[in-house]
Amino acid sequence: MASLKAYKIVIAETAPVILAGLVTCLKNLKDFHPSVIEVDSPESLFETVTADMIDLIIVNPIFGGLLHPAEIRKTSLNPDIKIFAIEISKLNRATLSLYDNHFHVTDDLNEISSKIMSAIHLENEDLEEKENLSSREKEIISYVVKGFTNHEIADKLFLSVHTVMTHRRNIARKLQIHSATGLTIYAIVNKIVDLSEIKL
Amino acid sequence: MVKIREYRAEDKMISLISNDYKLLQVLSRFGIPLGFSDKTIREVCEDEGVDCNTFLTVVNFLNGDIQTDISINSLSLESLLHYLKQSHIYFLDFYLPSIRRKLLDGITLKDSDVSFLIIKLFDEYVDSVREHMEEEERHLFKQVEGLIENQTTTNTDFPVYSRHHEEVGSKLRELKNIIIKYCPPDSSANLLNAALYDIYRCEEELDGHCKVEDDLLLPAMFKQMEKQS
Repeated sequence: MASLKAYKIVIAETAPVILAGLVTCLKNLKDFHPSVIEVDSPESLFETVTADMIDLIIVNPIFGGLLHPAEIRKTSLNPDIKIFAIEISKLNRATLSLYDNHFHVTDDLNEISSKIMSAIHLENEDLEEKENLSSREKEIISYVVKGFTNHEIADKLFLSVHTVMTHRRNIARKLQIHSATGLTIYAIVNKIVDLSEIKL
Repeated sequence: MVKIREYRAEDKMISLISNDYKLLQVLSRFGIPLGFSDKTIREVCEDEGVDCNTFLTVVNFLNGDIQTDISINSLSLESLLHYLKQSHIYFLDFYLPSIRRKLLDGITLKDSDVSFLIIKLFDEYVDSVREHMEEEERHLFKQVEGLIENQTTTNTDFPVYSRHHEEVGSKLRELKNIIIKYCPPDSSANLLNAALYDIYRCEEELDGHCKVEDDLLLPAMFKQMEKQS
């Protein structure tokens, strides 16, 4: 399920060999196809995290002067952004403690992968748990695909329009389906509604 | 996979394609026909009246996984605009309709299942791409044309385009996943795979196209505006 969401990982590293190595490691993770954004200066790092929903930053702490992860977190569009340090030369513990996690450049691929996956994995479990629709949500889907408006659904189910909209947002997030046609396909295949009930 | 070097004007045109066949698309969008024998990039560009610097910038920008510094200083807005317009024509008039035909071949259309809804979903997706591209042509491209003719323009809200680009991208991801997860069981596997391969490739190409707009066209426009003000 995780593959449905496009994870965005920023790599902030200037050495091309290390950069290429990291990109390769990320490409080899199972069930995980992040889009990788490479930045080569602290300015472009800040620009990227403020403009885009980034899930994870892998940064060389001595990249372009000493960085402060707290500042990155403060300006980041994603409040739950994870920041990893890649340790190329020995760094002191105080520096590393500012990061969510770190790996050393000599770590083997499995170690690196498992650290990245454990940061991402928590969210995977969240996602999978959320995958199951409640019976209320299924009920709402059946009305949506039959062409009822939010207002009509609210009336039928004795809910506020606001609540109906919240349900619809949750449905879209859980199923990763945002279009009415897509939702109709889902509802028919999963037998929430019958094809004959759909007005087209 | 990792780019080892940048292409230069003295490189042979054929070496470009040998290294990455996807660059064939770039050639045709710049209006460079095949059949260029062993000529260098500069020679072919001169023969075809294509701005060599712009061609090289786009090629080097799209080539390889690792981005090196791309200079926008030597870009010709006119050439770049022509390239982007041709890309729009390619997606709307050629690539997306050809994917639709392949989808129709792979999915047996029936009233009794979701097959026709999948085609409807695809059509809705194409509509949204068309809408986005036409909007760009009406506003962004018009503005570029103004800049080329040295008119001073009023600044508009540029970042909205990169947001559009993300939306168009996520719609395609959704479409792909719906086809894979919910297509009717009697679809022809080989034909449907052919359509899906194209959709994946289309996704990559659209990504590249949007990146050219966001990271080459817009900076080049800003540069030109600075020059003119």
